[in-house]
Amino acid sequence: MRGKQWKLFSVILVLVFAASMFAGCGGGDKKAEPQKVTEVKIAFMNPLSGSNVDAGQQDLNAAELAVEDINNAGGIKALGGAKIKLVVVDTTSDPKQAASVAERTFSSEKVAGMVGTGISGLTLPILPVAEKAKVPLITNSINDQITAQGYKYTFQVTPKGSQFGGTQVEFLKFLNEKFKLGITKVAVVYENSGYGVSTAAGVKDIAAKAGLDMVLYEAYPHGFTDASPLVTKIKASGAQALFPVAYTTDAKLIINTMKSMNVNPVIIGGGAGFLWPAFAKEMGDAVNGFVSVASWNWDSKSITANKDLVAVTERYEKKFGTFMTEHAGPTYVAVRLIAEAIEKAGSADPTKVRDALASFNSNTGMAAMMQPGTTKFDEKGWNSPVHPVMIQWQDGKPRTVFPAEDSTRAFEFKK
Amino acid sequence: MDIFLQTTINGLMIGGVYALVAVGLTLIFGVMGIVNFAQGEFVMLGMYASWMLATYLKVGPYPGLLPVGLIMLAVGYIVFRTLIARVVGKPDEVAILLTLGLSIFLQNVILVIYGADYLTVQTTIKDAALNFAGLSLPLARVVAFVVALIFVGLLSYMLAKTDLGRAMRACAENRNIATLLGINPKFIFTLAFAIGIVMAGLAGVLLTPMFYVYPGIGTLFNLTAFVVVVLGGMGSVPGALLGGLIIGILESLTGTYVALDLAPIGTWLVFLLVLFLRPSGLFGRRVN
Amino acid sequence: MKKDVKKYLLTAVAAVLLLAFPLLVDNLYIQHSFFMIFLFATIGLGWNLIGGYGAQLSLGHAAFFAVGAYTAVLFVIYQSLTPLIGGLVGVVIAVAVAGLIGYPCFRLRGPYFTLATIAAGEIVRTLLLHFQDFTGGANGIPLPYKGDNFLFLQFSSKAPYYYLALAMFVVVFFLVRYLEHAKMGRYLAAIREDQDAAESLGVQTHKVKMFALLISAAITAACGVLYAFSVSFIDPDSVAGLNLSIEIAVVVIVGGIGTLWGPVIGSVVVIFLTEMTNLYLGDIRSGASLVLYGLLLILVISIRPQGLSSFFRRN
Repeated sequence: MRGKQWKLFSVILVLVFAASMFAGCGGGDKKAEPQKVTEVKIAFMNPLSGSNVDAGQQDLNAAELAVEDINNAGGIKALGGAKIKLVVVDTTSDPKQAASVAERTFSSEKVAGMVGTGISGLTLPILPVAEKAKVPLITNSINDQITAQGYKYTFQVTPKGSQFGGTQVEFLKFLNEKFKLGITKVAVVYENSGYGVSTAAGVKDIAAKAGLDMVLYEAYPHGFTDASPLVTKIKASGAQALFPVAYTTDAKLIINTMKSMNVNPVIIGGGAGFLWPAFAKEMGDAVNGFVSVASWNWDSKSITANKDLVAVTERYEKKFGTFMTEHAGPTYVAVRLIAEAIEKAGSADPTKVRDALASFNSNTGMAAMMQPGTTKFDEKGWNSPVHPVMIQWQDGKPRTVFPAEDSTRAFEFKK
Repeated sequence: MDIFLQTTINGLMIGGVYALVAVGLTLIFGVMGIVNFAQGEFVMLGMYASWMLATYLKVGPYPGLLPVGLIMLAVGYIVFRTLIARVVGKPDEVAILLTLGLSIFLQNVILVIYGADYLTVQTTIKDAALNFAGLSLPLARVVAFVVALIFVGLLSYMLAKTDLGRAMRACAENRNIATLLGINPKFIFTLAFAIGIVMAGLAGVLLTPMFYVYPGIGTLFNLTAFVVVVLGGMGSVPGALLGGLIIGILESLTGTYVALDLAPIGTWLVFLLVLFLRPSGLFGRRVN
Repeated sequence: MKKDVKKYLLTAVAAVLLLAFPLLVDNLYIQHSFFMIFLFATIGLGWNLIGGYGAQLSLGHAAFFAVGAYTAVLFVIYQSLTPLIGGLVGVVIAVAVAGLIGYPCFRLRGPYFTLATIAAGEIVRTLLLHFQDFTGGANGIPLPYKGDNFLFLQFSSKAPYYYLALAMFVVVFFLVRYLEHAKMGRYLAAIREDQDAAESLGVQTHKVKMFALLISAAITAACGVLYAFSVSFIDPDSVAGLNLSIEIAVVVIVGGIGTLWGPVIGSVVVIFLTEMTNLYLGDIRSGASLVLYGLLLILVISIRPQGLSSFFRRN
């Protein structure tokens, strides 16, 4: 052992210890209960950098609006009007970092609950961290495995990825019947990511049961540079309907390539990239007519029937310049739900908040914002009444067109 | 047959762009022995420069080629003088690590400045395509292919026929003798590096009609460029061209006939094969 | 004499601090950070065998990490087999993969070897993504929650993981120290200085390098297993990604490639710096910590290229 290096190491070790003691203390005393609560913290964790920032920003907008709305209405009345404070945390788009970041947040902040993430691959690593830290979280990611692990502190407010396929195929059947399209050959192309694999598997499952012929089922690498091989395959397969599952970049690439290569099956989008404002900005007027499945939409019947909820979507649009997006809606609901749970529990203690959430069952107020209008968490933490909807872009905005119980606009057939 | 032809042509066209990125890489390695792991990031910088010009000065991508080229020339000069010059002559791994650090640095500086939003550069030809004989050639891709080839051609001509080019080749062969012949190696290296960076930047401009602009886009091209250069032979410009086209076609064929998400494996396997059987590549100098 | 006493005293104090650490610092996040520091220090020590002493820059070590992690996890998911055995199998497979990669790759020199290791790592990652029915693909695999269960390496607190990482670190540290002074170490040093000269003196360079790579792979794979169970979730990008391979190399290089304490110091510095930056600058804009990370690498290489180049060979 070289003396100099050893000395250097021990100095560093001491420094690190000192710094960690400091950080540990500076992070706030978790043990003491303050006499009067004036502020309750809710953690917000989403990717605000890296490849998923698109989604993360939408979630942040919604969370900020929710906190604003709660505080403007008087805060948490059961705690004497305590205001909600959002602790905004960037998980980055790397799952390893996400877990680390969650660790850091729970250790240094005393939060009553957490909202996030909107990306399945980032939510999954955070679940065990939240469970160990005993902080309840509500996520708007769609992966089925989220509520299948037995965690008691995990809640999922959105439909599951496996349901998406069902809705899409039902919609195709509806199209076939109503417009006599006679589509029997379908293709699925999906991004090789947590969201892609999950959603695609759902379509495959249901398509088989519906007797459709799956002529192509192809994964493509996220961020690929050239969609021509993919489109060539689609063309070669003779598919009459295509179910693409993609985030923004890839969605653009695929659609443009298909257009220029004159491959025109009926496209039934798989969510994500097909729903966001960037897609409309990119396609301009050509966006109208595109359909996609969505975990939530701003003009579903359960919302338009309630003027308070409509006001929320209008406030969002005014404040952020675009319609309230598929990510924004459920995140808004999640924050409001945590606040309601705090209200119900009469406490900001995370375990009590968790218990309040577990017994939540309502179809009024914020709970009605998730279609079809009731929010109830089952024993696994999933909002079992919820199901996906189909949207169609009309006049530059996504409108809910299916299923009938949620739709407020009719589907417009183009061709 | 139709599908095969379409697939091959798809690959050929994107291969042209790979070649342009790789040509810069191979020039830098050939003349001064530096393995530039940040080449992809310079493609990304070219894309951002193009976006800036389009957004603030309303200059479209194709007219933007010249200004971006000049900007990248300056960038290349600065990067060489501040960083690369120090490690010329040092073992290869030093350059790898330095440029790796540069790559991480550049990606994240751009991230901090511009955020991670996906940006677009609008062009009129974006969705247009040439459709004939059952084939479909997206126009943006065709233009990229043709322009890329033009630049590679210009570079080859410069290297073969001009004094400057001869000086570069002399430095590549043997620096000491080149010095004795009155060539200033430092000047040559700076210029070669800058030109290599310009090539990357121009490739970036050509790519903007086809891709979103975001900080991480460089990585997509980085690794491919390396495979192309190894295939073509480190230091050979015609090798980079041929290698680029071959890799483009190979990737396309693997994607269509095997499985799309395994397309990179086809490339990697060829890469490994070349490394083991003929590390000097198609046109490179023999490596011991 | 005095120097020895001082050294032993320091060692004793450090040992006590390290062992008592989780009891002193209750903070989950800091416990996790120290876990990562010892984990990366261990991987770094392993990487150093081939990258430092062997002077072959590998940017594909994530492949071994992933093989270890996935094997152990898949055995739990499909066979309910304890990772204590599953992990061992993972290590064996990783060693086999290393042999497969090393045998042809060692004929390559310098940057070509590095590029080949990148290719190897990427192939492993792509395969993990592709065979999704088996590996879960991009979805990754979450580990079912079992509360406190040592057989499945599941604990409800962070401290046991920290102790396991610490234990692994100590074992590997002394192993590498032993190898450094043993014949193996001296052969590697000779190869590093001048491979051809060493060959002509009768050193079986391929065998020596292969041995170093195999041990390196085993260590990395074991760390992969521990990591997987500490975060309860793995996916191809986080355990087989190029970024991980780069991070491993950077940790060792920053600390001092080819030295025993290098990986340790590097691990402390890199992880500490990254976390501190995230903590204080994370709100401004993310990516700040990575800017620092890239800058760190550039600075280390630029300012001490002489120090580094004496461990590499020009080919």
